[in-house]
Amino acid sequence: MQGEILFLCVTVVTAGFAIAIGVIFPALGQGKACAKALEGIARQPEATGPISRTLFVGLALLESLAIYVLVVSLILLFANPLLKYVFK
Amino acid sequence: MEFLTTKIYFYLGTLPVTKTVVSTWLVMGALIIASILATRHLKFIPGRWQNILEMFVEGIINMIEDMSPHNGKQLLPLVGALALFIGSANLAGLIPGLKAPTSDFNTTLALALVVFCAVPYYGVKNQGWKNYLKVYITPSPIMAPFHIISEVTRTFSLALRLFGNILGEEIVIAILFILSPLIVPVPMMLFAIFTGVIQAYIFTILTIVYLSAAIEKEDSAEG
Repeated sequence: MQGEILFLCVTVVTAGFAIAIGVIFPALGQGKACAKALEGIARQPEATGPISRTLFVGLALLESLAIYVLVVSLILLFANPLLKYVFK
Repeated sequence: MEFLTTKIYFYLGTLPVTKTVVSTWLVMGALIIASILATRHLKFIPGRWQNILEMFVEGIINMIEDMSPHNGKQLLPLVGALALFIGSANLAGLIPGLKAPTSDFNTTLALALVVFCAVPYYGVKNQGWKNYLKVYITPSPIMAPFHIISEVTRTFSLALRLFGNILGEEIVIAILFILSPLIVPVPMMLFAIFTGVIQAYIFTILTIVYLSAAIEKEDSAEG
């Protein structure tokens, strides 16, 4: 039983750390993108339309990185494929 | 709590009919009935419902023509249907008893596969086999595997992005609901409306980017 409990603990801790670390860098990137887009809009207000459209596409591509981490940790928590080997 | 699997209602032969399927059919039915009712008596001076639909159609056409001029009419059926279905599917999760069909990976993967198949279709239709396949071997034939890999991975990322966003929102609401069911989930649910619409917009605009890159002749194959 010890091994199984250890496995569960490690899974949960790993999922928590994965989401914590994996969200930092996409967040930094998104902040940078937003700041630059705002600068561009402040400098050239008539270009708001194209800039915000491109910004949305870029933010979506950046966000998908964080979403990959979310999916991985959700799989670890709710649909861990290794569980059936541990709990026979 | 099970978020990644869905409840099976009943079996149709050997096919399991899940909550996702039921919700999808309800959303589809609502959309079909609404559009039939709105377009039953089309007038030259539009009434209220016709006005809303015309606004939507014109908005989609403008979105497409910003990306690739002169292709608005051609791409409208696919892109408009995707936008309408994903938008209402995302919002359907807020109705009690329904599950957002897009919080199931099968639905989003199916939608992304539609885009995956539509890209070569519109590419070949607009510039012929030869010109379309030429994109794969530019700048040199060594790049062909990378072009193919990028097409496959972008399909997966399209599916995963929609799925992860909607499911994440649903989980946040569910957890807040467990903690204190009275008023606390309401701001998050309002935020979920915003996220649902934004995700539908992003799926649509990425579809337009991919399709317009396939349609355009020679130059600009980014995206």
